[in-house]
Amino acid sequence: MKKGIWEDFDGYDSINEEIKASHITASKRAFELDFADQYIKRLHPDRLALKIADIIQETPTTKTFRLVSEDNELPPFQAGQYLSLLIEVQGIRTSRPYSISSQPNQIGYYDITVKQVKNGLVSTFLLNHVNIGDSLTVSGPQGNFYFNPLVHDENMICIAGGSGITPFMSMIREIVDRGLPRTLTLFYGNRYADDIIFHEQLTHISDHFERFRYIPVIEKASQDYQGQCGLITADLIKEVAGASEKATFFLCGPQGMYDFCLPQIEHLGIPRKKIRKELYGPPLDICKDPGWPKEIERDRLFSVSVKNGQTISAPAASPLLVSLEKGGVVPPSICRSGECSMCRVKILSGKVFQPADTPVRKSDSQYGYVHSCVSYPLEDLEILL
Amino acid sequence: MAKYDAIVIGAGNGGLTASTALAQKGLNVLLLERHNIPGGCATSFCRGRFEFEIALHQLSGLGTTEMPGPLRMDLDSLGVMQDLEFVEISDLYSVQNPDGFHITLKPNKEQILDELKNAFPHEKEAIDGFFDLVYQYANDMIGAFIFRDPEASREKYPNLYRYAFKPAQSVIDDFFTDPLLKAVLSVYWGYLGVSTDQMAFAYLAMILFQYIVFKPFHVKGGSQALSNTILNKFLSHGGTVRFNCSAERILTEGGTVQGVVTGQGDVVRSDYIVSNASPMVTYGQLIGEEQIPEKTITEVKSRQLSTSAFTMFVGFDCNPEDIGIHESTNFLMVNTDMTINNHDRMRRLDIDDELMVLSCYDVSDPEFSPEGACQTNIVTLKYGEPWLRLPPQQYLDVKYRCAEKMLQRVQAIYPDIRAHIEEIEVGTPLTHMRYLGHPLGAIYGFEQQTKNSLFFQPGRFTPIKGLYFAGCWTGDGGFEPTLRSGMAAARSITKQIDNKNV
Ligand SMILES: Cc1cc2nc3c(=O)[nH]c(=O)nc-3n(C[C@H](O)[C@H](O)[C@H](O)COP(=O)(O)OP(=O)(O)OC[C@H]3O[C@@H](n4cnc5c(N)ncnc54)[C@H](O)[C@@H]3O)c2cc1C
Ligand code: FES
Repeated sequence: MKKGIWEDFDGYDSINEEIKASHITASKRAFELDFADQYIKRLHPDRLALKIADIIQETPTTKTFRLVSEDNELPPFQAGQYLSLLIEVQGIRTSRPYSISSQPNQIGYYDITVKQVKNGLVSTFLLNHVNIGDSLTVSGPQGNFYFNPLVHDENMICIAGGSGITPFMSMIREIVDRGLPRTLTLFYGNRYADDIIFHEQLTHISDHFERFRYIPVIEKASQDYQGQCGLITADLIKEVAGASEKATFFLCGPQGMYDFCLPQIEHLGIPRKKIRKELYGPPLDICKDPGWPKEIERDRLFSVSVKNGQTISAPAASPLLVSLEKGGVVPPSICRSGECSMCRVKILSGKVFQPADTPVRKSDSQYGYVHSCVSYPLEDLEILL
Repeated sequence: MAKYDAIVIGAGNGGLTASTALAQKGLNVLLLERHNIPGGCATSFCRGRFEFEIALHQLSGLGTTEMPGPLRMDLDSLGVMQDLEFVEISDLYSVQNPDGFHITLKPNKEQILDELKNAFPHEKEAIDGFFDLVYQYANDMIGAFIFRDPEASREKYPNLYRYAFKPAQSVIDDFFTDPLLKAVLSVYWGYLGVSTDQMAFAYLAMILFQYIVFKPFHVKGGSQALSNTILNKFLSHGGTVRFNCSAERILTEGGTVQGVVTGQGDVVRSDYIVSNASPMVTYGQLIGEEQIPEKTITEVKSRQLSTSAFTMFVGFDCNPEDIGIHESTNFLMVNTDMTINNHDRMRRLDIDDELMVLSCYDVSDPEFSPEGACQTNIVTLKYGEPWLRLPPQQYLDVKYRCAEKMLQRVQAIYPDIRAHIEEIEVGTPLTHMRYLGHPLGAIYGFEQQTKNSLFFQPGRFTPIKGLYFAGCWTGDGGFEPTLRSGMAAARSITKQIDNKNV
């Protein structure tokens, strides 16, 4: 081979010597890749196979499932994070996000607390057909809804609705267990008093722990109900929590709650950066979105053909992801709320509706990628997975 | 059984350009990517109303239409230039320290000289001399290597022969006495990851020269736009991409590539494979060490891995100038020692007085973040190894502790930032291990010492017939080198195929 000119550069010989010497001292061991791989898996596993150690009936329509690992090590998480449950129900392979309701200072188990959703596929299955000793597959802990010590105020004002209590349960338990220097005020809205999840526990903690205040708010209260009734308003927040300049707001609940409560909080003059909002799945009824094209009826069926794959039929008002799963095409998904981008697909032809504030990368939008968990067909589609 | 003309493993910068260049030649190419988006380092993620850039600080080698750099020529030949919009960054960099020292260099030689002489009048002549040497060196380098002068000699290119392998620090020490000035001129070591006494002058000279001549750039839409655009070109040439699909094994027979077993369990045949993964993973996990000549394995094992990084992505609810950010690229400095002494701190978990770079894309591209908002990407280099020794239970505490220290360091320069933070996310060396699959989260591949430079290492070539590397492990890290490395791998393969066909 022809000699390279660099072989005549000053210093070449000594570098060459250095390299020869390093070959002699080079490790004789195999590449130590497995250790790092294993370590990363302990922190961020793709999948965890867990067993149901206990099932706790919280309300007539809600159960807590206590999940343990067979080898006794669960990855750490931050209070407020969720798991994505991977499951097959009625022949449909799908996933559902559930917040961890147990506290992160103990990871002998993860609790998830599941509320029955009317006509819901997975919640119905979990509440009726799953028993102690059964196995469940979940993702590692996910999500960005947690107290961030770098920027959040130690005065936390939390607003929960329905099953949206679960991430707060984890936060409250952690604060109490670890005696963290945080003050937490919880407004917990439910339609009926019977719906309140964790009511006894929350009452008990607030009786014994000065820095936790618990205000259940019942929308449709009976005549003799003693507590707060109606909705969670700016006035109520002000009355209970006082001036809230030095507070960070955390919200978790159904879309209707955000629609009502966010303007109330803004009314209090709270800047955007002080308001954290958890995801809550796709919009309940996409046809009510202000941008929805009125001429498309909700039941209209479109055909969706997957490039180099099968063709399925998809109703307008169902998330594309859901229709794909029903047709046996299963793109990966985690948040099912438009945020994590796992379910990203490319639309090769045809049009979909995607709510305006869906966080899609700019260049993804430019090249026709959508988050299929919050995209709805408006025409026949061809897609690339 | 599926068969492709070539399979590319990994859709990082190198994998993307390799696969696209091959598809452009009419080859039937399969691109496998473990994650759900293309780009590797060259990606972004969304938080709230922000889309955060992961890796790109200043794109080098692009140049202008009048003065095209090597990267522009490569992107042009891929046919993607018209789909991309680049933003010229108006400054080379600023250097600031908590004592109030603040200097801003523009990417223009005359302005740099003026600015430096103004700040360091006692080093006037040395400043001229140093930049003369940088330019002479670069011209030698271009003559000998870019134009491939067949008659290159010491007489023709004296500076090249004399300075290429000389440690940068010793050249700097020969010229200057002021430690602050020395440090100001050395900060780009951060883009290479090796201290100035371990780094060849060739690197420092070329990085300064390149950024001054070809200017630093940013991409509209961030590096994800670059990745998506290249992938789109790949698809338009009929390429097949599979996301969420890793390569589990590379099949070889008699030292020749046969195909790949994917994470989905299927076997795909091909005579050519480009690996965008590290040699450690490619040889150790995908092929199996026993199939590789011992010489190659020893050679790989003798090389150190580069540093990883601790990164903070911050979205602010105000414009850059509201928090005192006026330049795109800001090196925050406490300690002027850029040698191995300082470098050793990178092997510790905690952040102390390390050099940091804070990039704010919105300064050059006000549309980068939503209106009335801006974002910064703050990085300090840290090796990955200490992070692997942390009990997983302590990981979050340590991550927040380091991030808090980093914020304090930034606050010492920009006091008002904390009150304006709307979103914040932290990436550690473990984050890089997880998302890039690089051993120890090494962001630049092998340690960029002279002995690991292309002059001394096999680069894209392997002892397995049909297998090539692309990406930072073939030579230099960074966007320009890795994008170009994929082009080179593709050239090697098309050459092989052409030879076969004659
Ligand atoms: C981050 C996060 C955390 C969460 N945490 C919790 C938690 O801790 N606890 C909890 O209980 N829940 C939680 N959820 C909600 C939970 O993930 C599930 O969405 C919930 O259990 C419903 O799932 P399902 O399969 O039962 O209902 P689905 O089958 O998904 O149905 C939901 C609704 O859609 C309707 N629907 C179904 N199919 C169609 C169709 N084709 N067309 C139109 N409408 C249709 C159903 O009638 C039903 O009203 C969380 C969600 C997120 C995003
Ligand atoms: S699953 Fe997260 S964006 Fe669709």
